[in-house]
Amino acid sequence: MELLNAYLEEIRHRLPLKNRADIIEEIRSALMDMIEERSPGGDPDDATVKAVLMEYGAPREVARQYASHQSLIGPQIFPVYLQVLKIVLIVVAALNIVGLIVSIVNGSIGDNDLFIATFETVGGLFSSLFTAFAIVTLSFTLIERFAAEELQAEMDEDWSPEDLTIVEIRKRVKISEVAVEITFGIIFILLINLYLDRIGIYYLGDAGWVSAPILNDNVLRYIPWITGATMLDIALNLYLIRKEFWDASATIVKVIINVLKIALLAVIIAGPAIIAVSPSAWQALNLEVNLTAQQLTRQMNTVLDGLLGLAIFGLVVDSIKIIVNGFFRNDHTRLHIKTE
Amino acid sequence: MTDITLSDQTQNLVQELRRGVIILAVLSQLHEEQYGYSLMKRLEEQGMQIDQGTLYPLLRRLEDQNLLQSDWRVDTSRPRRYYVLSEVGKKVLTEMTTEWSRIKNTVDNLLINP
Repeated sequence: MELLNAYLEEIRHRLPLKNRADIIEEIRSALMDMIEERSPGGDPDDATVKAVLMEYGAPREVARQYASHQSLIGPQIFPVYLQVLKIVLIVVAALNIVGLIVSIVNGSIGDNDLFIATFETVGGLFSSLFTAFAIVTLSFTLIERFAAEELQAEMDEDWSPEDLTIVEIRKRVKISEVAVEITFGIIFILLINLYLDRIGIYYLGDAGWVSAPILNDNVLRYIPWITGATMLDIALNLYLIRKEFWDASATIVKVIINVLKIALLAVIIAGPAIIAVSPSAWQALNLEVNLTAQQLTRQMNTVLDGLLGLAIFGLVVDSIKIIVNGFFRNDHTRLHIKTE
Repeated sequence: MTDITLSDQTQNLVQELRRGVIILAVLSQLHEEQYGYSLMKRLEEQGMQIDQGTLYPLLRRLEDQNLLQSDWRVDTSRPRRYYVLSEVGKKVLTEMTTEWSRIKNTVDNLLINP
């Protein structure tokens, strides 16, 4: 029986966790039936047990039959995944290359350093492409977990042409857009929480590349709030993918998130300056601009406040649009065909 | 099975053909409670050979789909898991049987009139 137990153990650890013990007991019971049937005299000999095990099959093969075919990213969203991956990778690659060009044009890289700089850019490019790939994949794994069943149900469901008026096209959620938002949301959260100090001025010092952070400590107090607002956005987007169209609660939650963001931006504008250009880094860049680091800091903060003000304006417009679309417009002129 | 003389290619195609009807064959024999091994024997006696390695996972999948229900029984010489058609399973079997007759007739006709 030792042989039998060893065989079952080989199967057991390859089985899916669910019902493991139960499956093993069932196989044991079946094997015992087979062995008993072939040993009329009572005690089975090793040869009989071996023959039965051979007949039942290799443990790996037996276990494989119980595996459910789960995929990280299922066939329904795979095309969207590829599409988003392409967009994100192109954006990331473009940003890296723009960074290199800016450094060259700035003159912060001498002719001799160009080779090194290119080399480093290529290295950086690969690592950021890889990170972007991982984040997109992670986002879609989330979407698969939360929404794949709904997507499948939608594809399986019976439909009649009468269904077509149910959802108007402007309320329809575009999975690719939402997926991009989720992806960039995650990238943004990672960026501000882990790599905040990387946002800065890059220059080639004596000992290679140096980066001087451009944001000061004042920004730290906002990070949890910004992270929270972005996470709310991601949660809402996951809900939207599941729901597939904007309903009243999604509209209300989106408006609440926007109001929170507006408040947050207003607090940042009213609060102390968050940009501080390091004088030494500014000097190292050696641009032919007649500005001190202090002047530059002041100007950049003014510009930032202006941009944040614009963002508030954008959020207000967005909120009004969402409210009008969600609650006041009722034309059924543009219909979405659900079976695309 | 007498397919010793069949070519590999034919064997693969026959396998595929059988795969489609195995569920029907299994369901058809589960009006009464059966445990895996007895079910296999029963199918085999009637000419439908099925690997145990295929049968047990299939039974579980059918149970997951609520077509079967099962219970461990300890009153026999050793504990055995017995499967039987559920109400849903009975209904599905009836519908599948009708569909099977239709397919069989259609294909028979197609084969007669090439």
